[in-house]
Formats: sequence, C-alpha cells, structure tokens
Amino acid sequence: MNTATRLEDRARARWLRWLSRRIPPSNSVTLDQRRIFIFPSRTGFFFALCLLLMLIAAINYQNNISYALTFLLANLFVVAVLHTYANLAGLTITAVGADDAFAGGRSAFRLRLSAGGRRGHYALWLGWPVPEEQRRRRRFLVGLFSSPAMMAVEELDLDVDDQRELRLHLPVGHRGWYNPGRLRIESLYPLGLLRCWTWVDLDLRALVYPEPKAASESGAEAGEGEDGLQTAGIGDDEFAGIRDYREGDSPRRVYWKGVARGLELQSKEYSVVVSDARWLDWEQYPGLGVESRLSALCHRVLDYHRRELEYGLRLPGRELAPAKGDKQRERALRALALYGQDGASQ
Amino acid sequence: MKQSEQLPRPALLWIIVAQAMLLVPHLPRVPLWVIAVYIIAFVWRVQAYRGRVALPGRWLKVALSGAASGGIVLSFGSLLGMEPMVAFLLTAFALKLTEMRSRKDAYVVIFLGYFVCLTAFLFSQDLLLVVFGLVLVWVLTTALVCVHRPSGRLADRQPLRIAGAMLFQAVPLMLVLFFLFPRIPPLWSVPLKAHAAKTGMSDTLRPGDVSSLSQSDEVAFRVRFDGAIPETSSLYWRGVVMSRLEGDTWGSLRYLEIPARERREPVVTTEGDFIDYRVIMEPTQQNWLYSLRYAEPRNAGVMSLSDYRLFLPAVVENDYLYRVRSWPDARLGLELSDWRRRVETRLPAQDNPRTRELARTLYAESGTTQGFVSSALAHFRNQEFFYTLQPPTLGDRDVMDRFLFETRRGFCEHYAYAFAVMARSLGIPARIVGGYLGGEVNPLNRTVIVHQFDAHAWNEIWIEGEGWVRVDPTAAVAPDRILYGLERAVAGEGSFLADSPLSPLRFRGVDWINGLRLRYDALTYRWQSWITGFDGDAQFDLLRGVFGEVSPSRSMAVLLGVGVGTMSLVSLLLLRSRRAAPRSLLETELERFARRLHDRGLEREPGETPAQLVARAVQRWPGYAPRIHRLYGSLEAAVYGPVVVEDEQRLARELRRKIRALRP
Repeated sequence: MNTATRLEDRARARWLRWLSRRIPPSNSVTLDQRRIFIFPSRTGFFFALCLLLMLIAAINYQNNISYALTFLLANLFVVAVLHTYANLAGLTITAVGADDAFAGGRSAFRLRLSAGGRRGHYALWLGWPVPEEQRRRRRFLVGLFSSPAMMAVEELDLDVDDQRELRLHLPVGHRGWYNPGRLRIESLYPLGLLRCWTWVDLDLRALVYPEPKAASESGAEAGEGEDGLQTAGIGDDEFAGIRDYREGDSPRRVYWKGVARGLELQSKEYSVVVSDARWLDWEQYPGLGVESRLSALCHRVLDYHRRELEYGLRLPGRELAPAKGDKQRERALRALALYGQDGASQ
Repeated sequence: MKQSEQLPRPALLWIIVAQAMLLVPHLPRVPLWVIAVYIIAFVWRVQAYRGRVALPGRWLKVALSGAASGGIVLSFGSLLGMEPMVAFLLTAFALKLTEMRSRKDAYVVIFLGYFVCLTAFLFSQDLLLVVFGLVLVWVLTTALVCVHRPSGRLADRQPLRIAGAMLFQAVPLMLVLFFLFPRIPPLWSVPLKAHAAKTGMSDTLRPGDVSSLSQSDEVAFRVRFDGAIPETSSLYWRGVVMSRLEGDTWGSLRYLEIPARERREPVVTTEGDFIDYRVIMEPTQQNWLYSLRYAEPRNAGVMSLSDYRLFLPAVVENDYLYRVRSWPDARLGLELSDWRRRVETRLPAQDNPRTRELARTLYAESGTTQGFVSSALAHFRNQEFFYTLQPPTLGDRDVMDRFLFETRRGFCEHYAYAFAVMARSLGIPARIVGGYLGGEVNPLNRTVIVHQFDAHAWNEIWIEGEGWVRVDPTAAVAPDRILYGLERAVAGEGSFLADSPLSPLRFRGVDWINGLRLRYDALTYRWQSWITGFDGDAQFDLLRGVFGEVSPSRSMAVLLGVGVGTMSLVSLLLLRSRRAAPRSLLETELERFARRLHDRGLEREPGETPAQLVARAVQRWPGYAPRIHRLYGSLEAAVYGPVVVEDEQRLARELRRKIRALRP
C-alpha cells in the first residue's frame, strides 16, 4: 500500500470518527445545521464559469445592464445556498425496521420521512453508499464535488406536513447482523447549483440468516439416519423438576423465579419425551465447516417448516426444543444466524 | 448516485417558452434563415414533446451544426463580431434544444439562455427590453427549478413562485454590487458591432442625407440643464464639422489630414455666461458628441478638437452620459492660420458656375462679408425657395446650380451647402456644421429631448475680428423650423414622420398619449442617468456623496452589511421554526408555578399531572398546604374552568401575585 492510499485511509477514518461525533447514531433524526453539509455541485462550478464569461462580456462592452444581470445571477447562486439548505433542514427520518433476510439476498429497510410544518422537501435522494470493496477506488476529496456511488436509491418529494414510509432494498452480506451504515440523503433542489447532503446513522440493522444450502450427499445421509428416535434423558423437552444448582448448568436453566424470592440457586430439570420430533443437530455434519453446517441446518429448517414437521435444533451450547410453526422457524433461524456471534442473546 | 436523468416535462415546457422569448429581441439583427432554423427546431421540439416525432439522430445533428456555422460565415462574412456571435448562439441554442434529453443538456441550454439574454443588452439597454429580459430570466430560472422537480406537474405554480422569490431575494445585493463594482476598462479589444447601423449624423453629408434622417422619431439624446433651459431656437447642437468638399459630398477632416500644429486643442478666451448641462446620448456607433458652442468637456476622456467639437476616442456603443460647460458668447478662432484658411475656402475647380456668379452678384451689393450674408439670406427668403422633407434629387454635376436655379426645393442641408459654396467661391472661409436643432422640453423632469428628426445642418463662416460665426440659411427659408421645430415647418406638406404612422410623436395633440409618452421618457431619462449611463465618473461621485470618501474598506463594509442583512432576512423567512401553538396566559402561569416549585427543589416528573405535583408539594411543605391548595384551586379553575376572555389578563395578574407570594 503506498503512502498516499494510507494517508487517504487515515483521513477517511478520521472523517468517520468526526462524523459519528457530529451525527451520533439515533433512531430518529431531524436534520439541522449540525447535520447538513453543502457544497457547489459540478453544475454550480459550470454556472460560475458562465458567470465569469458574462462578467468579461460586461466589462469588455462596458455594458451596465450586463453587469446587473451578471450580479443578479451571481446572487441567485448565493441565495440558492439558503434555499438548498432549507430543503433538507427540518426533515425527520425515522428508522421503522428492517426485514430479516438470507445471506446473499436482499433485505427491505423501512424508513419514515416526515416534513416539518413549514416547508416541503423536494427531490430528495436517499440511499446507502456502495460498500468500499465494491467501489471503484476514488479519491477522498472527489466526494465533495459529486455524490458517491449509491445503491437502493429512492427519489421522492415530501409536501408540507406530509409523511411517507418507504422500503429500501439492500443486498445483505454475511450471516449475522447486517448494518447498512450511514444513510445518505441529498438534494440538488431548487437550482442544482449546490449539493446538500447528510449522513445519518439510523441504528438500523437486519438479521441475516445463513444461506440455505443442502449439505453434500453423505452429510445429509448421516443427518437423516439419526433423525427421529431419541433416547430418554436430560433434554430440553419437558419440565421434570427442580434440583440444586450444579456448576456448568446453563444460566437459562437456573430457576430465576426462586432466586428472586430469595431461595438458593436452583436449576430446572427437563426430561426428553420420546417422540417423533426430528432433531437438527450440529453434530450431524462431521467434517463440514461452520458456515456450511449452518447453511445445511438452515436448509433443513426451511424444509421441515414447509412440510409442517416438528423439529428441534441442537447447536453447541444451545438447544431449541422441538416445535413447529412460524415461531419455531424464526427461533431456529435466529439461532443459526447468530451462532458464534457477539450479542447472540439479542 | 444514479439519479434519473430524464428531463421532467414542465422543465422542457419552460425551456421551450424561453426559447421563443429569446429570439424576440434579436429579430432585427439575425438573418432570416436563422429565424427559420429556430422555428423548425421549435416546432420539432414541440412535436417531439407531444410524442409525434423522434428527436434527430446524431449524424443529422452534426450535419446541421456544420451547416449552421457555414451559413453564419456566409451571411456575415466571418464568425467574429457581435451579430455573428448572436446568430451563432441562437442557432446553437435552437440545435441544442432538439437534442435535449437529460438534465445535463438542460443545464447547458438554460445557461446558454442566460448568456443569449445578456447579448440582447449589448445592443440595447432600453427599459422595456430590460423588463422583458427580467421576465426571460425568470422563465429560465423557473425551468431550472423544474429540472429538479422530477414529479412536478405542468399546472404547478410553485416553481414559478420559488424562482421569482429567489430572484427577488437576489436583488438587494445585486444593486450594491452594481454600484460598488469597479468600472474597469475593457480587458481586451472586443469584436465591434461592425454590423450595427450607425445612427445619427454621419461625418459625410450629401444633399438628402439629413432629410432622410429626419424621418426617424428615435431619440438622439436627452439633456438636462443645471439652470434654466435656454430658448430651444438657440439650441444648436454641434456634432460634426465638415470642411472638405469632394464631388457633391461634404466631409469632416480626417485626423491625418490636419497638420500636427493644427491638431492641438484651441485656446479660447471664454467670456459671458456659461451653461452647465449633462447629456445622455443613445448609442450611435460614432465618435462624436453633441454640444452647444463653445463646449468644454467636464468628463475625463472626452477630447475637444480644433474645430471646437467634442470627440470620444471610442465609439459610443452604449448609453453615454457626459457633462459639458458651454460659453455661448465666446469668440472662436480669432486667429486663422494660413492652412486653415486654405482648407476652409477650397472648392472643386470650375463647378457650379451659376452659383459662383450669383455669389459674386450678391457680394457686389455691399462689398462686405456681413453684407454678403444678409443679401444671401434675403435671396433665399425673397425668391421662391421651399423647405421640404421630400427634396428632389439633384443629379451628379453642378448640383447647386440645379438646386438654386431649377428645383428650389430643399431641406436644411441644401441651403447650407449652397451658402457654403457661395461663400467659399468668394474666398470667405465657410463650412457646414451637422447636428441637431432645438428639442422638446419634457415638462415632467425639465429635460430636453432631442429626436433624430431634429437633425439639422447649418454654416459657420469666419469673419475678421469676430472669428467663426454661425449662419443658418434655413432660418431665412423656414423660420418656423427654427422657432417651432420640424413638425410645424412641414405641416403644410404632411410629411412629418410619414413613414411611421404609429409613432406616439404624431399624436402629440392627444393629451393622454402625449402624457404617457413624456412620462415614459422621463422614466427612461432616470433609467439612463442612474443605470445604463452609470460609469466610473458617476460611480466616484456617488460613492463620495454617500460615504464622504471613496475607499475599498467602506465599499467592502457596505457589501458585507447588505449581504449579511439580506441573507439573515432570507434565512429568517425560510427557516423560522414552526410557531408554537398559541398558549393562553393562564397556561403560562401554570408553567410558572411549576417552575417556582422547581426552584424550591421540587422536580416535576415526566408525565406528572399538575394535581400530582401539587400533592407532592403539599407533602414536602405541609405548613404551606392551605396556601398551595388555594393557589392551585384558582389556577385550575382559571385554566380548565369557563373563563371570560376579558378576565384573563386580570386573572393572570392575580395568579402571578399569588405565585410570587408563595415562598416556602
């Protein structure tokens, strides 16, 4: 990596730090002067060049009305700064939520925009910048003159007192929580001479499930073979009683209600009922990598869910009792999505 | 960001409107085919807009642009110069319109539109044109706003309103810049308006020239005198002095024809009273300025020539304001150099024999120069000479013989010509002066309006001991012309402004038309003296008048002051937050009550009702319970109970007193 690139990266890192201090993440943001940036657009520079030509014409022909026209247009530019700024100021953006998605797919990010009572907001462009690695390398400062490559772009007008909910579809990356980063909102309205923009961090994130992928033949066989018959023993299925807490018991088994009442630490015991419930077990796929196992499990969850079967899920350190229905599907997929990730409890 | 590049339809519509408007001021100066191209592009674009035809393909466009440039070179002879440039810009505008699809194209077209609008002002700065230009700028700006309203509808007036508001907000700072921006000389020499018609007096004169100029009702210049306006019959506005006769054409001496020692500005001993005045001249594309004799220029850059006229090194391309001091009684050229005498008496050999003969006869009556002048004028007065705007043509040779002895019908230049030839044939230095005579006094602002039809030619002869003296032979033929102006002088003929039947000047008898015309003229004068005639001198005077001294720091301060002022006003207008819902006085008091408790250390908890707050207050300060209860009772009654509005003030006052009394 050459020095220039390193410098640029440092500058960008600083810029991001500064940005998060200035526009901290928040669920709902109303734009004001702290959050709005403004700079002449390329058209603005072209206009300035035209103004210069007009001024030269006025000087060379000693023509007073030409002077006046040039100054009028120049001040139009100046006044446009306020108008362009005012077009964004007062706009409130609220994060509504994000749909869950499978890795490699798209998620819908839902936002609500509301206009203040004084002004409408026109020709707003919303979108997320294309992630760094997919972008052609561009100089840091070029960002001042033109907007970065964007995805999931939406253009809309918002009249006074209007409110609009929109869904922006973004490709999500890997399994886990996907945070699309800062949302860029920009506008050239009214004259296109200036570009006014902001970066807001809406604290929006989508849960990304593993990509459903059937495991290879042998793995699937192995899994299928052990399906169904379960040995009785301590499992997750049915509440059996309460016993004293032993080291190693999962905190989820602790009888918290008792603790709250001031009793000793106790654990709940469950017994496994022999049933026709199927188990999706981490251990069914020996020899597969973590992600492949999760993908295979994910595939099976969907498969069973479609066939309306009852199923349980067993991951290292985590077990889901067999059940069926949408709730179970969601629980299972969530567990798969967050397996091995920080904040798995969320 | 991949923004939709499609041009919104309202934007296109406004651009088409602007296109139509842009052509209007340029109509007189572009060749017909440019207008044709323009109209074709216009129709094409409108049809494409309505979805009837496709826009032209790329090769067709290349071919069209090539053909247009070629056509301009053919029409004008070159691409340099103002008119070819305007024609070029207009064709470019028209062609660009046919290929306009995206926003980027729209920017180019709109900015080009602003520039074409500016070029119209280079030709004329008339008030009406400027108003038209302002509307045009408004339309273009509206188009620019529409470009950024992708979902805008055609009927939507909002872009029009926003563009108007923004232009309006740009005006204050524009005015300041206009008056403060230093008027610097041209950065480089620019293509002259070679194709623009020169107007006004020319520096050559053939019989018939002045009478054709007198068909025009255009204004030549306007004058404002510092003191009283002299008699209009004494207002001989000298412009060109013609001392050289070649063939049948009089011409003024070229600079190089004058020997170096004769070129210097003449020394004149001024005597008598002087008159100060300022003249605002319409553009003439010529170098000379008009003034009363003997004129001292008060503007830097105006030269006084050896024949006592004012001369500007650069041609007058825009409204030009200059100040003059005239000494009507000063005697000019008491000493006549040999060279000057030779030049001023030179005649083409052997022509006009009968005229020379007549001159000799008239001179013989008295034997003096003065005597000759009176006999010559008497000859014009007593013989059958006619003053007419439609003089017959005089042929090629011995034109004065033909005029004096055959046609006897002529305009001022015929009489001046005849008199000059007669005087010169006698060896008396004589020449023709071209300019204007008289003018119309505008009672509204006491200016003298001089029109083209006031054009006049007269003579100056040199008399020993008196210098150059004015002789106006027209006065002998048509005294009405001098006393009352051209209209009265040619009334019998009905030829006054015969070619412009709609000229408001023909309706001077109709009061309201005349009133309107004079009002507009007064407005034009103000416009010219403040805006279009504003130059470095005027700027200096203005700044000194306003600031006391001219300094960059003061200008900067004013610029900043007005700039910040306007911007604050605009931001106030744009950004003031939504007004809070109007609160009653009592609600304010309730707030005050809560605040007082807060000061005493009792926080109001979020979501707490006033009643809960009061309960806690009583708990905290049991000793004050009755007082707090009483106060809250009246508060509650006041806020939630039925209140007669008139009582509100009194109630609020009472509450405030009670709250103040509450000192736990």
